[in-house]
Amino acid sequence: MTRRDPSVLLFAAVALVLLLLVTLPIAWLAWYSVTDADNHLTSANFLRLVTDPAMRKPLIVTLRIAVFSALGACTVAVPLAWLCARTDLPLRGAIRALVTASFVTPPFLGAVAWELLAAPNSGILNQWARPLLGLDDYDYVFDIYTETGLSFCIACYAFPYVFTVLANALDNMPADLDDASHILGAGAFTTLRRITLPLVLPAMLAGTLVAFLQALTLFGTPAILALPSGFHTLTTKIWSLFQVPPQPHLAAAAALPMLLVTLAVLQLQRFLLGRRSDVLVGGKNNPPRRIRLRHWRLPALALCLFIMLFPIFLPYGALLKAAIVRNISDPLSWATISASHLHFILWEFSGTRDAMVNTLLLGLASASFVTFMALVVGYLAHRQLVPGHRFLPILAMAPIAVPGIVMGVGLFLVYTRPPFLLYGTLGILFLAFVTLEMPAGFQQMQAAMRGLHVELEEASRIFGATRLQALCQITAPLLRTTIIATWSIVFIGVIRELSATIMLTTENTRVISVVIYDLNESGELGALSVLGLFLLVVTFAIVLLVNKLPILGGRGLR
Amino acid sequence: MASVELRGVRKAYGRMVVADGIDLRISHGELVCLLGPSGCGKTTTLRLIAGFIVPDAGEILVGDQRLSGPGKALPPEQRNMSMIFQSYALWPHLTVAENVAYGLTLRRLPKAEIARKVTAMLAVAKLSPLADRHPGELSGGQQQRVALARALAVEPETLLLDEPLSNLDTNLREEMRFEIRRLHDEFRYTTVYVTHDQLEAMTAADRIVVMQHGRIEQIGTPEDIFLRPVSEFVARFIGGTNILRGAATGDMIQSGPLRVQWGRGETGGLPEAAISIRPHEVEVTAAPQHGANCFPATVLRHTFTGSLRDYLLDLGADIQIRATTALDQHFAQGDSIGVRLPPQHCRALAR
Repeated sequence: MTRRDPSVLLFAAVALVLLLLVTLPIAWLAWYSVTDADNHLTSANFLRLVTDPAMRKPLIVTLRIAVFSALGACTVAVPLAWLCARTDLPLRGAIRALVTASFVTPPFLGAVAWELLAAPNSGILNQWARPLLGLDDYDYVFDIYTETGLSFCIACYAFPYVFTVLANALDNMPADLDDASHILGAGAFTTLRRITLPLVLPAMLAGTLVAFLQALTLFGTPAILALPSGFHTLTTKIWSLFQVPPQPHLAAAAALPMLLVTLAVLQLQRFLLGRRSDVLVGGKNNPPRRIRLRHWRLPALALCLFIMLFPIFLPYGALLKAAIVRNISDPLSWATISASHLHFILWEFSGTRDAMVNTLLLGLASASFVTFMALVVGYLAHRQLVPGHRFLPILAMAPIAVPGIVMGVGLFLVYTRPPFLLYGTLGILFLAFVTLEMPAGFQQMQAAMRGLHVELEEASRIFGATRLQALCQITAPLLRTTIIATWSIVFIGVIRELSATIMLTTENTRVISVVIYDLNESGELGALSVLGLFLLVVTFAIVLLVNKLPILGGRGLR
Repeated sequence: MASVELRGVRKAYGRMVVADGIDLRISHGELVCLLGPSGCGKTTTLRLIAGFIVPDAGEILVGDQRLSGPGKALPPEQRNMSMIFQSYALWPHLTVAENVAYGLTLRRLPKAEIARKVTAMLAVAKLSPLADRHPGELSGGQQQRVALARALAVEPETLLLDEPLSNLDTNLREEMRFEIRRLHDEFRYTTVYVTHDQLEAMTAADRIVVMQHGRIEQIGTPEDIFLRPVSEFVARFIGGTNILRGAATGDMIQSGPLRVQWGRGETGGLPEAAISIRPHEVEVTAAPQHGANCFPATVLRHTFTGSLRDYLLDLGADIQIRATTALDQHFAQGDSIGVRLPPQHCRALAR
């Protein structure tokens, strides 16, 4: 009468893959942190973490930097989000596009650009400032190689996290809530202060927490800006513990607190956002009525453009200039423009082509695999097809709590020993990317599945389609846009990843982000800029493509 | 022939029992309405029949073939049923014609025959001019007709309707009630129709199954259900009624100071009994009368509803009843009047 449902087998396979992806590295990490080189249990690693000044200092520096950059990001993002979501600011769309551009800019590329801009001697901004302020040749105004500089640079590319969450909350806040305040006699400012801001406060805090996590777990920016002036953050310290002589046990112990802090912060964030949805759900959602800025429109726009100077205009300008002038210190003029860097990167530098091929291969493979897994997990979980379906999303979302560098350490520990000798192959990078990008991919797919009424598929079943036919003829076509979007998001995530990559890459498996990092080390900033801009162009092309996707021919998915 | 039979069907989610021993036989060509408030288990019952849900106990048969048993069920696609969903579930990426043709394509009919059937079905449903549109471009009523056309095009053995009219506005709903009955008279599919709207059920059904808390309260023709309710729940849910409770002796109950005689139904032999009398069956007079079931009353509230007057009356001792009268019987709030509860309309309820 009934056949055995093959989806149970599929479920088992998917669950096993997810389980191994996450638990294997974390388990090894935990084991390493409590053992010494002879496999004896010890608490020495953790003790060194708090007693050894060489370990304690990075910890404190990291926390300080994370707090300051998160606060900075929040300070900038709040007015920007409010202006874009709630007012008649001119060029709102363009400002949002610029925020998206900062969002997808790899932070390490921004850090390099800020080196070009604000290095004490050669920095472009310092060169501009000297004649203006009448300074001597070796005086400087800006120094990016400081804690302040580092915090600033991190905030430049972390503020979009706050902006996105906040603008989204403001977009979705029903206009009625504001209107109700107005009808009771409150003016625009009172409404903003008493109603709008308190309502989006949880979203604001949640976004700031994400920025905090970013700052805490970032590798590229501190590696580029902190190491030259001789101080460490936690991530660079962990990385340095893998240089000669390697101290994997201590590194594991240093990585574990990062994992715990991330878990705690994410829990707090979920709590905050959970409360928010209680407040904002319910009633008919009228789109918000925009507040008229009147004669403040142009000053507000000027403020937004001024803010965008720092993550976008100045850095991109600096990269562009470095890419086209012959020597990095040359001024920009017809005489100094040269294609030598382009030529070097494309034809002379042997690393480029391999790195591009590797990046492309890894991007394609990881994006396809994550999309497939996200689709299967989303489907099994949403349709509640198999026993234990509740645990699948948890497994798929678990890596969100694992910072890239921690995942890098974990994977390194697992796959440098038999039976899994993957270190030195692209396979280990594939595993890292798949694991790290799984949550982002799954979130996309889950949101889309929720919007898809289950009756659409049931209707197809009752008319005679098997589950597979229903999936292919109804569900997959309806999810087409989401599938493409998920794939693209993962692809972008892969080509910009550095934190885990730096731990796992070897001479034969270099990818573009690592080449950029190495070019910075060797001071080839012109060539670096060419490669960085190339990375940005590819990223923007994908972002544009995703935004241009027709939503089913505009025929109204209800 | 395709009758549908449920024998002791039970389904629970954790400790929540949503279908608690459903026994029901639907004859071939019959239209049966499952009627009840939300959460009564009617949609679960429908989805059990469709095969989307597997019963914990009991069995479901179509003809003499057992389709569902404890823990196992023939998948929906092999049941030769069709269904109209509450959300219509029209596929937004397919045109109206493609939606209607979908089930026929799956049945591997020749292309020419599919085209012929789709054209005919679209004509019946008055959708021919909209054949190449997408569902998103249609009004609610048009979408509803597409759902109907799609469901009927496959000529199913059994047709299932899940609150098909609940998303329509009042006028359209009334029109579609009669339309569904007309189409049923034309095609005579065995039909199970789930609704919470008693008017829909009354208009469309051969028989009505009133459900509550996962159980069947009463099965009967619309007249049965309305004129001969067996329980307080059915009497209240269908048409609305006044309930008087009290100690029962013979054909009388003592409800507070009122001694009320009843002429129909049965008390079930319990010492406490309830009788039901519908608002339009209460007789209202300007002066108090004397005799059996006659009581003085005070007007608490008067509402003019257009075709009737609706009174809330106080019979003393916290007993209030509603009465509807013709327009010419006009009393003001606070008036002292008389009511008579005609014994032939007072119905004793077993539950």
